[in-house]
Amino acid sequence: MKTLSDREALSREAVNQLLLAIATRQDRQAFAALFDFVAPRIKAFMMRSGSSSELAEEIAQEAMLLVWRKAAYFDPARAGAMTWIFAIARNLRIDFQRKSKSSKHVDEGEADGLQATEPTPEEILFVRVDEERVRAALQALSSEQEEIIRLSFFRDRPHSEIARELDLPLGTVKSRIRRALARLRDLLEETL
Amino acid sequence: MTANYHPSDLTIMRFAAGTLPAGPMLVVATHLSGCPFCRRRVATFEAAGGEILTEIRPAALSDGALERTLNRLDSSEPAPLASPSPQPASIDGFILPRTLNDCKVGPWRTVGPGVKLSRVTMPHAPAANVILLKVKANRRMPAHGHSDLEVTQVLKGSFSDAGNRYQPGDFVEGDDDTDHSPVIGSEGECISLAAIEGHVRFRGFFGRLLQPFIGL
Repeated sequence: MKTLSDREALSREAVNQLLLAIATRQDRQAFAALFDFVAPRIKAFMMRSGSSSELAEEIAQEAMLLVWRKAAYFDPARAGAMTWIFAIARNLRIDFQRKSKSSKHVDEGEADGLQATEPTPEEILFVRVDEERVRAALQALSSEQEEIIRLSFFRDRPHSEIARELDLPLGTVKSRIRRALARLRDLLEETL
Repeated sequence: MTANYHPSDLTIMRFAAGTLPAGPMLVVATHLSGCPFCRRRVATFEAAGGEILTEIRPAALSDGALERTLNRLDSSEPAPLASPSPQPASIDGFILPRTLNDCKVGPWRTVGPGVKLSRVTMPHAPAANVILLKVKANRRMPAHGHSDLEVTQVLKGSFSDAGNRYQPGDFVEGDDDTDHSPVIGSEGECISLAAIEGHVRFRGFFGRLLQPFIGL
């Protein structure tokens, strides 16, 4: 049994390789290793976004099934494995929310229409982001700014929820989020 | 059609995080379909999402979760090919962006002199307040203040507001810090797609006419 710290040792490149092994030869061992690393993180991410533990685990497992099915669409030149998996988990969460709100059956992958995991041809041409730069920019933020950006990422109503959570006036939260995002943009542009 | 006005950083981030409500998400997606600049901004925040997912402290899964998932791999079909896009949605011969293809687009209804409104219903979020608004040249758009979030994408024509001129492809965003009273350009009618979240307080003559149609 691997411990959580073992799982944390997987490098980003190793995660890419696992996903490519699934894409090219339906490698089940690679899937198991990827599952060990990613599924507990998707679950944690969903819980931070307000899902119950049960729902978060269901989304994590369903997301991993989609990773298996869609692996052939993964293009390491376009995005890292974790970014690609993040997008799958996010779309799945949107689907689950829509299903829970409407009694009508919604097909799996419905949210893909808005933002496809498989890019349309024009998106392939235009969108390629240097993830190393994004990581460096996030790390260069002050801890207060990083916290507020992470919080805004998880919250459905970032302004009011963060104001309540940090016990700050709404106006203060708004200007802090604005400043943190402006700082992030500056950091990203500096390294262009 | 290069846009001059774009969604805010927060709105782009919320789109990438998947936390925008369905209505604003549709309007932002419509903007993105014509704006490579903002698609790149979204991709940047998706990369941030990948980073947050990598760095988050894992939550233990229940016993046997991996085995249960492995057992389902074989019954899991390969991803279906993307279904062909349906006929583009249109209203009165005006072709709408393809992001509206799945939506039900109601007929134009007159809500005031020179102002028509059509309700857009999203199949998976029927309660979302999304409208098309068509206003004749030189008219004033319904005046209103916001209480939560309103986003507008210009599809045709132009309008001016607070010294800025918005044209097709442009995205306008307001929250409760802003008060609007836009004026349509003289070159012709203006059609825009708008999503409104939260309670909106309408002011003025048009606004009072519009309120019952928005149903807020």
